[in-house]
Amino acid sequence: MNKLIHVILTFLILALSPSIFGAASDEVKTSSADFETTTFEDEIYDPLEGINRAIFSFNNVADRIVLEPVAKGYKKLPSPIQSGVGNFINNLKLPLAALNQLLQGQGKNAAESTGRFLVNSTVGVFGLIDVADNIGLDQKEEDFGQTLATWGVGDGFYIVLPLFGPSNVRDTTGMVMTMMTDPVNAYAASQGQAWAIPVKTAANAIDQRSQIIDEVNALRDNSVDYYAAVRSSYYQNRKAAIMNTDDDVLTPLPLISIEFE
Amino acid sequence: MHRIKILFVFLILISSSAKANEAKDWLNKEIDIIISAYQNNNLPNENKFLMVENTINNNFAGTGIAKFVAGKSWNGASKEVKKEYIKLFKRHLALNISSMMQGYSDQEYQLTNSNYDEKNKVTLVDMEIFSDTGSIQVTWRVKKSKDRFFVIDLLVADISLVVTKRSEFNSMLKTVDYNLFEFNKKLLSQNESSYKKITN
Repeated sequence: MNKLIHVILTFLILALSPSIFGAASDEVKTSSADFETTTFEDEIYDPLEGINRAIFSFNNVADRIVLEPVAKGYKKLPSPIQSGVGNFINNLKLPLAALNQLLQGQGKNAAESTGRFLVNSTVGVFGLIDVADNIGLDQKEEDFGQTLATWGVGDGFYIVLPLFGPSNVRDTTGMVMTMMTDPVNAYAASQGQAWAIPVKTAANAIDQRSQIIDEVNALRDNSVDYYAAVRSSYYQNRKAAIMNTDDDVLTPLPLISIEFE
Repeated sequence: MHRIKILFVFLILISSSAKANEAKDWLNKEIDIIISAYQNNNLPNENKFLMVENTINNNFAGTGIAKFVAGKSWNGASKEVKKEYIKLFKRHLALNISSMMQGYSDQEYQLTNSNYDEKNKVTLVDMEIFSDTGSIQVTWRVKKSKDRFFVIDLLVADISLVVTKRSEFNSMLKTVDYNLFEFNKKLLSQNESSYKKITN
């Protein structure tokens, strides 16, 4: 009986949606330019693909066994706790973000990041509450990888780092520079609290992962080549971050023509 | 002369804005159809997927995207192989989008902005999906043909679905020497596996 109701219900919803059955199907043709090889996939230089795939498999297992379950557990915490942790971690990133914005000649953004840090660290109770967002000081992330790219340093080849995931030579260099210059890390080390550095890194990973549980699962479950899908996604995301432009402007527009046959 | 120029620019702006809003309204209706399916807890997953697949088949430029994603393997394939590939690709696209919707739990969404790109004749519609802890930005690329709209790409957090699929397919096509017939077997197997995960 239940099954019959489901079938009828589905039929009714479908039938009542004129755009579903009323519209013509997408019997389209494309111009020859649509399927010419473009530089989209060829731009990614991956000479260590064999090694990268092995590390990627290891990371994938580590993600399934450790990170994803922890992130799912974290996601079940009350949202004010999640927001508080996320805000606190993001606030700690601001001094370096401001420095990188300065190095990239983004004076206004650097001033905004500094303002965010001051407001959230004080009024926002050590960064737990994002007060700055409410007064129009938006979060704009910048790292050394982006700074090096702005200075004209190329990507280098693609690398998959154990546990840290997709990267390239330039962004790995940037990551090392971040670790070495992060004032929060330096302060923790100077106080004999170096244990706080990996804890901060792990907390950041869990917080970030918890925000993309469904997206990662969708990509993992539906990719004919998950490695290539992640690699492409990484490059697109980094390009957008480096260019600081709208995604729609930046991402090359596929030349898909729609003409009825 | 100066006034005519100003009037001309004004008319172009008005026309672009109208086109952008028209696409936004259309998209809003289509998204609501999918959302309503996922809000209905009485519908089994098979039926939810069926609705997503129907909506996508009728509103995405599936054939055009399929050809684009196939890249250089397209030209060497026979008509039958191409036809089979397009059928498999459309299902693959629906499975991908349906899988993204699996975690849907009454999040609110808002179509925030729409712009008409005169050069490429494409409307870009921005959508923000809100959750308790933040929001995610999605951009739809919509193109009009013969008085109706088609989605030609979907960008989630700066990542284009079409560009990612092309890169992913190209990597797999390399392993079968760009033979679309052989690739279809892999795509079929992937679709079967994805379908099981979605419906279970």
